[in-house]
Amino acid sequence: MIRKTFIKESKELFRDGRIRIATIIVVLLIGVSIWISAQQYQNINEQYKVSKTAERAIWDNQGEKNPHSAAHYGTYAFKPKYPLSLVDQGVDKYAGSSIFLEAHKRNEAQFSIAADQTGLARFGDLTPDFMLLFIMPLLIILLGYNSFTKENEMGTLTLLKSQGISYKKWIFGKWAALFLPVFVLTVVLFLIAGFILSNLKDFGVFEWSSLLWMFIIYTTYYIIFINLILFISAKAKKSGISLVVSLSFWILACLAVPKAASNIAEDTHPYPTRQEFAANVLKDKKQGLDGHNPWSKEAKLLEKNVLAEHNVDSLHKLPFNFDAYRMQKGEEHEAEIYFKHYNHLKDQFIKQSRVYKRLATFSPYLPTRFMSMAIAHTDYATHWNFADAAENYRIATQKFLNDDFAKNSTYGNWGYQADSDFWKKLPAFEYSPTKLTTVLSENTANLSVLGCWFIGSFALLLFIKKIR
Amino acid sequence: MFSYNFKYELKLLLRSKWIQLLSIILLLLFGFSAYNGKEKVIKREADITAAKNEVKENDQMMLQLLDSVEKGMQVSVSRWTIPTSPMVIGNYYPRVAAMQPQAMTFIATGQSDIFTHYVKPKVTGDDFALNFTEMTSPVQLLFGSFDLSFVIVYLLPLLIIAFSYNVLSSEKESGSLRLLASQPIRVQDWVSQKLFLRFFWLSLLIILSLCLTFLIFGIEWFSVFNSFLSLVAIILAYMLFWFALAFLVNLWVGDSAKNAISLLGLWVLFVLLAPSVLNQLSTTLYPMPSRTLMINEMRELKAEVSKKQDKILDNFLRDHPEYAINDTTQTRGFYHRYMASQQLVKQELNPVLTGYENQLQKQQAWLEKLKWISPAITVQESLNKMAGASTGDYEHFRKQVVDFAETWRSFLTPFLYNNKDFTQKDYSALPQFIFQPKPKSSQFVVSGILLIVSMLLFGVGFVLSKKVKEEMMLKPF
Repeated sequence: MIRKTFIKESKELFRDGRIRIATIIVVLLIGVSIWISAQQYQNINEQYKVSKTAERAIWDNQGEKNPHSAAHYGTYAFKPKYPLSLVDQGVDKYAGSSIFLEAHKRNEAQFSIAADQTGLARFGDLTPDFMLLFIMPLLIILLGYNSFTKENEMGTLTLLKSQGISYKKWIFGKWAALFLPVFVLTVVLFLIAGFILSNLKDFGVFEWSSLLWMFIIYTTYYIIFINLILFISAKAKKSGISLVVSLSFWILACLAVPKAASNIAEDTHPYPTRQEFAANVLKDKKQGLDGHNPWSKEAKLLEKNVLAEHNVDSLHKLPFNFDAYRMQKGEEHEAEIYFKHYNHLKDQFIKQSRVYKRLATFSPYLPTRFMSMAIAHTDYATHWNFADAAENYRIATQKFLNDDFAKNSTYGNWGYQADSDFWKKLPAFEYSPTKLTTVLSENTANLSVLGCWFIGSFALLLFIKKIR
Repeated sequence: MFSYNFKYELKLLLRSKWIQLLSIILLLLFGFSAYNGKEKVIKREADITAAKNEVKENDQMMLQLLDSVEKGMQVSVSRWTIPTSPMVIGNYYPRVAAMQPQAMTFIATGQSDIFTHYVKPKVTGDDFALNFTEMTSPVQLLFGSFDLSFVIVYLLPLLIIAFSYNVLSSEKESGSLRLLASQPIRVQDWVSQKLFLRFFWLSLLIILSLCLTFLIFGIEWFSVFNSFLSLVAIILAYMLFWFALAFLVNLWVGDSAKNAISLLGLWVLFVLLAPSVLNQLSTTLYPMPSRTLMINEMRELKAEVSKKQDKILDNFLRDHPEYAINDTTQTRGFYHRYMASQQLVKQELNPVLTGYENQLQKQQAWLEKLKWISPAITVQESLNKMAGASTGDYEHFRKQVVDFAETWRSFLTPFLYNNKDFTQKDYSALPQFIFQPKPKSSQFVVSGILLIVSMLLFGVGFVLSKKVKEEMMLKPF
């Protein structure tokens, strides 16, 4: 029964001209989108490499200079692009890709691509994730909306019922017929993506296991849609109604809920504005130790403590340059302030994420989107991770510079200049993204929501007692 | 015949609960989206007011400090934050350059979640380092906002499709078409009458629910009656476009399900695919130069400049003798050199920066032409413009801020090079930023063009479907 239904349905789908055309269009569009993304990926990676080496050269060739001047002069950390961003661009477009690392100050990533584009960009891009997340479910709806309603409309339902069919087997046959083309299409697309990725020069950290996980996530997403569409088709009176209901679900899941979620998340856990944030940081900074201000209360206290610790009566007798020492202490204090404020921001981000997870009950799109971005290293968490790594590097750089200043000069000697090859000793900034296993363990909530949708949608199918 | 049609159609719609259902859906959608928009506007206003109040408080402190210094008293602040120095005023007491929301801002988020609505330009730092992007979660930017324009551009067409995909086919399917065919009326007339009635009721519901939601949220639409009218006009024109498509599909395509598929296909094409393809094209045709490479360029320039600061200052003062005309002390400090070399960096980087602006403008101009490919883009653009949240509006604001930064700088630099103290008397002369909204082009033209396009589509339906043969329509399934 299962096999017969499957063969009959598959034949029907294959013979249907509209479905053939739709499938061809979808495949073509996905192909184009992968090609465009691959071009962009290579382009951006090249720029990344050029900028990184150029920036390092600028740093290395500073010549003789005071280490603190060099600290103010600063350097840049550039965010690399990861191979799987070819499949899912995630939030990359909206998050900046370069962070300026300077003394006393933690900077935000600058220059997001979206800010350099017109309002049209907000409709979305022709990228593989757009095709996989939005258009493929539409194709599934097109393939399956009339699975059961057509039996009624063609009058075959009565015939089938008189045969005494088992509903379960019949449903499963239909399910398999719907699943197979979708599955084959997805397999082929992911294989092509994997093939392109492993053939790109310097493909970095590309791993087939990540791609496999992504494939599993998307297949689950499609199965959820297949189950729901079949359920709707079994319950609807007419094909037209089944189609409209399926589509309403699609709109709700893919467009309306994510947008509503973003509004709700912002309303309940708002971010400060950029200026507010800066003002708050400044307020805290004023109250603490300022490395440049030897007359403040905190500076005097530090002076007293250090003198007592080293058992000397004058700053000149210290074995290091106290100016640089105070600078470093100020730096540490400032880093703490930034840590506090960014932690607050991160808190808001985590709370917002919880809102999204809760609202994922209404939309299988949300957990899929978040999982896909996380695996591709294009999600917001990766961006945070990168920003934190850059900040740690900034703090380490400041220590490196201040320590040299403290060690090699004496108190009051602001004219000290470090050697011209001193700069080369600073280790380069390296950032490696989180491992797949960590990503998965951090996203168990999303995985379980997706799992619930998966099981729930199958349960719906199994509980179909009667087909109209 | 028309009056019969009107009467029975209304009865039908009421009995099938369509009108009731639509009113509830529309009220919910408009209510939720208008609420979201209103919340954003309130937050924006509150943020700007808070920033301005902070400036006021700081100004009070500044005036007190100045007063103490002028009276020759000791002050308890660090030496380099005493506001007699013009650079202290320029850096620690900046003005707020804010972009106030407008009356219709709540209808579309547009670019407002990407860009900030107020900045405080200082004398130091580069103009391009002024960060105009807002601190928003990128996830939020990715998903977008549930605003009125989303309801209008994305959801309204779907309601129309659900409302009208089976106008003809359902009659066919229920067999009542044979009865109708015996009546002396053309198919086109009859379908268009039915659709027109639905259009009429839907428009009525939309206008009513719009007014109601505006009333509930206390939006004073009557004070901006013209904008309100142009909003309604554009909504109606957009609706008419979708009704025209429904008309054609009803006449040309067969059964209900096929109609629905065709209409949805058109929806996907106009609302999802066309914008993303066009965006891809515009970024491919007018690619933005790499920002990371720009950073490199800027860094190299600055490295060069910092090596010869003294020479730059000499040249600068030779070129601008007016700055130091009253200076008798000839004291030259860090800021003298810094401001001079900053000027140079700015001049040298100018071509790079205008490169970005030009590309963006080209993309924008291209979009202005091609937006007609999809009414969804046209309407979205118009709504963004009405809300003052389009790319152009933010560019307009940016330009004003950069100009203001220049005014701010050139007000204070003469103090610096003349080694003249800033005093209480100079306070009232401090430049203030006054935001000028981008002049609005009338969006009635857009509605007009959409209306003409829809009418043409209806016309095509009337002329070309003359061949829709009665027997084809009457053939049994």
